[in-house]
Amino acid sequence: MLDVRNLEMRFGRVTALAGVSFSAADGSITGLLGENGAGKTTTLNIVSGLHRPNRGHVVVDGEAADSPWHRRRSIGALLDQKGLYGRLTVRENVAYFGALRGLTGAALTRHVDRALDIVGLLPLANRRTEGFSQGERMKVALARAIVHEPRNLLLDEPTNGLDVPSARSFKAALRQMRDRGVCIVFSSHLLGDIAALCDEVVMIARGRTVAQGDAADFCRRTGCTTLEDAFMALTNVDEGRTCQAG
Amino acid sequence: MPGWLIVGLKEVRDHSRDNRALGVAALYALMGPAVVFLVSRSSAVEKGGPRLLVALMSVFALVSAFTSGMHVALDTAAGERERGSLVPLLLNPVSRLHLVVGKWAGVSAFSLVGLALTLVGFTLAFEWGGVEPPGDLIVPVLVWIVCGLMPLALFGAALDLFAAASCKTLKEAQGRLSFVMFAPMMVGMFLVFFPGRLGPWSFAVPVIGQQALIGAGLRGQPISPLHAGLVGVTTMAAALLIVLATARSFSRNEIAAG
Repeated sequence: MLDVRNLEMRFGRVTALAGVSFSAADGSITGLLGENGAGKTTTLNIVSGLHRPNRGHVVVDGEAADSPWHRRRSIGALLDQKGLYGRLTVRENVAYFGALRGLTGAALTRHVDRALDIVGLLPLANRRTEGFSQGERMKVALARAIVHEPRNLLLDEPTNGLDVPSARSFKAALRQMRDRGVCIVFSSHLLGDIAALCDEVVMIARGRTVAQGDAADFCRRTGCTTLEDAFMALTNVDEGRTCQAG
Repeated sequence: MPGWLIVGLKEVRDHSRDNRALGVAALYALMGPAVVFLVSRSSAVEKGGPRLLVALMSVFALVSAFTSGMHVALDTAAGERERGSLVPLLLNPVSRLHLVVGKWAGVSAFSLVGLALTLVGFTLAFEWGGVEPPGDLIVPVLVWIVCGLMPLALFGAALDLFAAASCKTLKEAQGRLSFVMFAPMMVGMFLVFFPGRLGPWSFAVPVIGQQALIGAGLRGQPISPLHAGLVGVTTMAAALLIVLATARSFSRNEIAAG
């Protein structure tokens, strides 16, 4: 369970976040939806423990996690950089991250096998990742992010560049984890992915949270008939927050 | 297992499979012995004697300490950023210091192996060139290897890593590391061809200290244990400071954003 409160972040003179807040429950997929540059990636970078915000708090599983170290320990993340070690096998890539999270011996082997099973990569476990397709690389990166079986998982535009079968099996893996009680936060600018996968949606525009709820809720609030229209109405602040007004 | 050891072992495993980089590193390591062998067969050795060859050897050994781990440093620092594997690595609950020490340990392992290859090459070059090293130089050379070259290989690994860590691409890092290699080569050559007496301070400066140590041996002076110890300790201390500076640079938000 994640509770993000009023995050603010500046890079030099550029304000990347000016107040992002949302909550994400266990056993659900929460989508962060926003146009390019809205602040989704920066938000996930902070929540995952990569960056320290200028202001704001992150609460993980009911405990304040203001230190990046705490967040890195209790969260699994697949952010916009997903590079692998091409000379290492799939198993070695995943086991390296498992070891860095304190897993050893039989427990490490068990966790690696389970992660590879979830993403469907057990048959390729002993192949080097050099020359893998985009979909296979994404699955290795996901296995690496979940090898320690985190209760909370962050994914930054994970379906970008995937072909239809890869995206489909990737989403199936996410649903499987959601059904096992994992809290998943999923950022995307693709409405189709958000609508198909997410139980709850957080809309971000210009570094701020503008709405949180489900698709039906957004449509009801704005008087729009589709999520796309509701998204435009809610994020295009200058032109009003309803379809009728827009 | 501590985090730095996990990282170090991964770097050794990963880079020991990089045949092209290993081949290039071996060529660099054997370049000095090949030159020494050629000179040993020329008339120059009759004029300068075996001491000339030892002096020449000292310059190549210095350079070897910086070049043997260079490709590993490039890949483990700038390469890690270029292929996008640095951010996932930084998301693990392992301190930046452990990550950098592990990478340093990995680069150092290749630096030490390269140095050993260079020294074996020199031994064979002397053997095949039919040159008998002067008996009074055996002990100074051994002291120079243990107190000078081995710490220098660790220093070179730290400096290579530091230079590569702030680069976003392999190409940028390659350019920067050329300067890192150029500096010890020029200092080493200058001190070989203009062997003026340096003050005791020189033993406290990496690269210059190593040359001062072998220079004293070449002049037939006894090697002071204090000077030898000073070279080793200050070179290691400088290496550790560079490792700390690299870990600091890894902690900045910009590195992850990069």
